[in-house]
Amino acid sequence: MSESVATQTEFVLPPSIVTKTDVSRLVTEIEKVDNQLTTAEVHAKVGASTEEEPLVSQRLADFLTQNQLTLSGNTSGNDRSVLIKKLRQMKDNLPVIHMTFAVEADQESLAQLVQWLRTSIHPHAVIAVGLQPALIAGVYLRTPNHVHDLSLRAQLKGGHDLLIKELEAFRG
Amino acid sequence: MGLFQHKNQLQQKSPSDQATDAVERLFDDDFREELRTHGRLYFERVINENAALFKQDLDATVAHINTELRQHIARQLDEQFAEITRTNAELRQHVTNQLDEQFDEYNKTMQNAQELALQALNRSAQALEDQHKQLSLSLEKSVAHQDAMLSGAVEETQAHLAEMKDAQSAALELLNRSVQALQEQHQQLSAMLEKTITDQQARLVDAFEQNMGRIIEHYLLGALGDQYDLKAQLPSIIKQMEANKQAIVDDMKL
Repeated sequence: MSESVATQTEFVLPPSIVTKTDVSRLVTEIEKVDNQLTTAEVHAKVGASTEEEPLVSQRLADFLTQNQLTLSGNTSGNDRSVLIKKLRQMKDNLPVIHMTFAVEADQESLAQLVQWLRTSIHPHAVIAVGLQPALIAGVYLRTPNHVHDLSLRAQLKGGHDLLIKELEAFRG
Repeated sequence: MGLFQHKNQLQQKSPSDQATDAVERLFDDDFREELRTHGRLYFERVINENAALFKQDLDATVAHINTELRQHIARQLDEQFAEITRTNAELRQHVTNQLDEQFDEYNKTMQNAQELALQALNRSAQALEDQHKQLSLSLEKSVAHQDAMLSGAVEETQAHLAEMKDAQSAALELLNRSVQALQEQHQQLSAMLEKTITDQQARLVDAFEQNMGRIIEHYLLGALGDQYDLKAQLPSIIKQMEANKQAIVDDMKL
């Protein structure tokens, strides 16, 4: 690892990690890589042929790049254990914002949204995505204690009386 | 000494003593035992012979007794059978006589009963004939009475008919009045119904206007909802979230 994990207090989450499930998968993948590297170290000690460097996903690669970390045979097992432990602690304390959309959310849009959330709200914010076509458009956002209905349905609901007045005026 | 050693002693003893001694010498223990054995054998032989003879006599006696007993039993049975046959004949004759007497008595009783029944039937027929005559007389009287009553009833009925005609006239008049009242009520109800329909129409128009607003709103929502994907909505969403940013941040800090 280029930087000591023990001295690093907080990690930066890349935009490709959107949900809490993504963080869980990230931890699982790092554990898997750690096992592979540990196995390779044992093989090297007994003089057996060592395997190649473990393959990592784009999500893990982004995470390592964002945090200037590397996972290879050169990193010590202790550092990897500390990394896994800290990631687990971070996963358990992630602030989750529930966002319900009227249409299916694509990964690119989610990445933009989570980027804005991490910039404006909390650096470790993750999204729990929902789908509700009745919203028409916009988002139904739920934080731990509040609900923000930013959907088109809510906006039109407020304009109901206005529409009735318009119709009565049209009727004469 | 030798054989004659005792000679002097014999000569010295009395003859009876000598005889006693001689007997004692002659009938010593061996000789006595031999005599007892011989007697025992002889006694057994005599007993066996007597037993055989006694057995023969006993067998002959038993055979004779059996023959006589069988003959005695046969005679007794023959006598009993003869007695039973004779008793049966007497009993049959007695029963036959009894039955004949009973039949004679029954026949007599039946004849008496038939005679009594015929007499009773004759009396009943006579009584019926008398009753028939009495009923005929009663019927004639009753018909005459009925004729008189019917004449009175016809007169009463005619009076009732006249009363009914009067009642019908009154009822017709009442019905005419009721029809008039019903026509008035019908006119009132028609007016009320027209008013109610008019009010209902006004309410329906109002409700239609209200629902029309919702229909138009629903149509607008459906039409707009299909037009935008998330990418197109993203600037608007971020803009709205920017507007609520402080509230979101405050809630996340709690």
